[in-house]
Amino acid sequence: MSVELDNELLNVFLIEARELLESLGEQLVDLEASPGDAELLNAVFRAFHTVKGGAGFLGLNAMVELCHRAEDLLNEARNGAVVLNPGFMDALLESLDLLNDMMRAADAGVPAEPAPRSVLDRLLIPGRTGSAPPVALSPATTSAPAVSAPSSPRAYDPIEDEFEAMLDAARNDRAPTSAPSGTINDDEFEALLDSLYGTGAPGAEAVPVGAASAAIPAAATPVAPAADPNAISDDEFEALLDSLHGTAVPGAISVGADSSAIPAAATPPVATAPIVETKTSKPAPAAKPAAATEKRTSSTADTTVRVDTFRLDSLVDAAGELVLVRNRLTNLAPRGTNDPMERAIGELERVAEDLQNAVLRMRMQPVGKLFSRFPRIIRDLARQLGKDIELITEGEDTDIDRTVVEALADPLVHLLRNSVDHGIEMPDVRERAGKSRSGTVRLSAGQFGDRIVITVTDDGKGMDPEMLRRKAVEKGLMDEEQAARLDERECFDIVFRPGFSTAAEVSDISGRGVGMDVVKTKIVELGGTLSIDSRVGHGSTVRLSVPLTLAIMRVLMVRVGNRLLSLPLSNVTEVFELVPGQIQELDGRIVAAHRQRALPLADLGNWAGAAGKGGHVVVVQIGHQTLGCLVDEVLGREDVMAKPLGPFLKDVPGVAGATITGDGRISLVLDLAGLADDAGQVLPSLRMAV
Amino acid sequence: MKILVVDDFSTMRRIVRNLLVELGFTNTLIQEAEDGNAALMMLRAQPFDLVVTDWNMPNMTGIELLRAIRADAALKSMPVLMVTAENNRDQIIAAAQSGVNGYVVKPFTAVTLKEKLDKIFERLAAAAG
Repeated sequence: MSVELDNELLNVFLIEARELLESLGEQLVDLEASPGDAELLNAVFRAFHTVKGGAGFLGLNAMVELCHRAEDLLNEARNGAVVLNPGFMDALLESLDLLNDMMRAADAGVPAEPAPRSVLDRLLIPGRTGSAPPVALSPATTSAPAVSAPSSPRAYDPIEDEFEAMLDAARNDRAPTSAPSGTINDDEFEALLDSLYGTGAPGAEAVPVGAASAAIPAAATPVAPAADPNAISDDEFEALLDSLHGTAVPGAISVGADSSAIPAAATPPVATAPIVETKTSKPAPAAKPAAATEKRTSSTADTTVRVDTFRLDSLVDAAGELVLVRNRLTNLAPRGTNDPMERAIGELERVAEDLQNAVLRMRMQPVGKLFSRFPRIIRDLARQLGKDIELITEGEDTDIDRTVVEALADPLVHLLRNSVDHGIEMPDVRERAGKSRSGTVRLSAGQFGDRIVITVTDDGKGMDPEMLRRKAVEKGLMDEEQAARLDERECFDIVFRPGFSTAAEVSDISGRGVGMDVVKTKIVELGGTLSIDSRVGHGSTVRLSVPLTLAIMRVLMVRVGNRLLSLPLSNVTEVFELVPGQIQELDGRIVAAHRQRALPLADLGNWAGAAGKGGHVVVVQIGHQTLGCLVDEVLGREDVMAKPLGPFLKDVPGVAGATITGDGRISLVLDLAGLADDAGQVLPSLRMAV
Repeated sequence: MKILVVDDFSTMRRIVRNLLVELGFTNTLIQEAEDGNAALMMLRAQPFDLVVTDWNMPNMTGIELLRAIRADAALKSMPVLMVTAENNRDQIIAAAQSGVNGYVVKPFTAVTLKEKLDKIFERLAAAAG
């Protein structure tokens, strides 16, 4: 029945179908906003159509049935027979969710639950429940005994019926086959081909013209009533071909005939007549041959290859190793001589760099892939809350490292939910405040140097610093004096503290007192930063900045005792050399007097298990604190590929990995954020005390 | 023998390819194109013996491809098997008028595909004979 359930095929299908469904969410939301967009409607139709086609071969009947219903509805919409109201859109979006569930089931190897009848029924056009959609489902078929339906035990299954009809057609079983109306069978088709291309010898192009008018109705009428009024059987088709071409072949050059034979075949002047007749005689308007007008919205037909991410990562690793070897060779090479060896190494240097860049680009993905999930989330949320919200996305083609894209998903969902739930006001409230009833959430991405900046902006009610101070005191996060000292920006940062929620009532959407602090933690883990700007009555902007790639880190290489340590440059603010007497004691702490302030010092040597003499200070930002790290020597900036330490050591706090230096030594790459606890306090072991 | 399989959904191209292999088209070079435009370029660049094309594709649909093939002096005798999702009379008639050699409705089995191909080759043989 279906192709043997080939696992590889299933996997390919799942990947490809998932991509289709991913963009389908966004397309459906867009379609709701602009229901008149025929291209979009076609794209949506095609997605369901394509998934149905693939699922059919894999015997995923639940998916086929659901897609089929959705397709029918969309087809009616394309024909202008129905307007896609919010009710239909809800049903389509729900179908999309169900399809995703079914895909997960197929992925897990369990049979999917058929879509609930409630959803299937909501995809039907009211009042047409009993009537026949363009395909299958006619009362005649459904009432027929479900003979030999090997693939599905269910009695009422339009797909099965369609399938049976197809099988019947394939068996040339003429009894239950097609109708004179919208369907055609093989015989009819053959007759049609004959009538179009002539029944006689090649060259007798006058004959088919005469025969054609009779051929199609003749072929069509003798067959029994159809399983499906629009279907065509094999026999009908053969008859159709006969009537079109005779026994000749479409496109064949007729021997002894004028060149006029071909044009005649291509546009048979007479053959159209009976076809018009068939059209007018059919009971219900059948689906238009949809194809001609269809264009996919994203028509970029690019040539792509799918690569397992595991393989990609090992390629990145290998490229990284190559760069390290190159660095060593560069160090070993004699300098200043015009040595062939030096030139070769220079060449290697250039090639290795190109390779590294190319490999890193392979890991990049446009952030739009991530953004495409959000319109759906915003739309559902807005409907749930009774708000009117438009999501504008910008900079979708900004490329980000694949791992960063994935890690950004949850934080961004949370930020967007916050904007919709807490930021944008109810339409009435907005109107009273002199704003448009509909709120806007703007999500934009852009590249700035080696960082990607993503902002989430809403034109909602904004945040009141005074209120935030009050809340912070109420929640015991700080005392009143501390709160009063906070400047505006510091007030906004309160929302990132654990246990803080600004919603007066905790809604089931965003405010549970967890969230913003988790967002912050996640972004910091990525080596990113987060800031908020807000104006009461005008809205808020959350700005997050993350590194372009996690594969390459810019570090400051330092030496402590005999150890080399790499400090992420994003955390380093300043480097200075100690002068005698600069280190002082203050309140039992060791500090350095620097720029008229007491800079707390951290003993990196002690932490790293190396005895250092100090002499230089690297000023870093760890959590909420500024700290000076005592080091023996500052070696300079470097771009390194941090390699993870392996399963046994991967959870050592403060260590992101290790890298090999140009002279073959190992340097630990520090994760400075990991050196602070959850509250942003630096670990006690780092602090220098008397 | 060389067959060109045209479909925008790569899963479907793989299915058709598998079925053709299952039917014993092992000495056959099966190539793929993802829409009518790509197919037409390939057809013009190298000789093929058969085109199996989906109907519903972006950029250039199956029927548009068929018409382009029939309108091309070098390609017009190329046998074309159309894959459709619906067994729809209007569509099939339109395809037949545009010069299709056969059609097959999704989902189909290797046996069905074989029947359809046999019919096409029968007709070709009859025409040649």
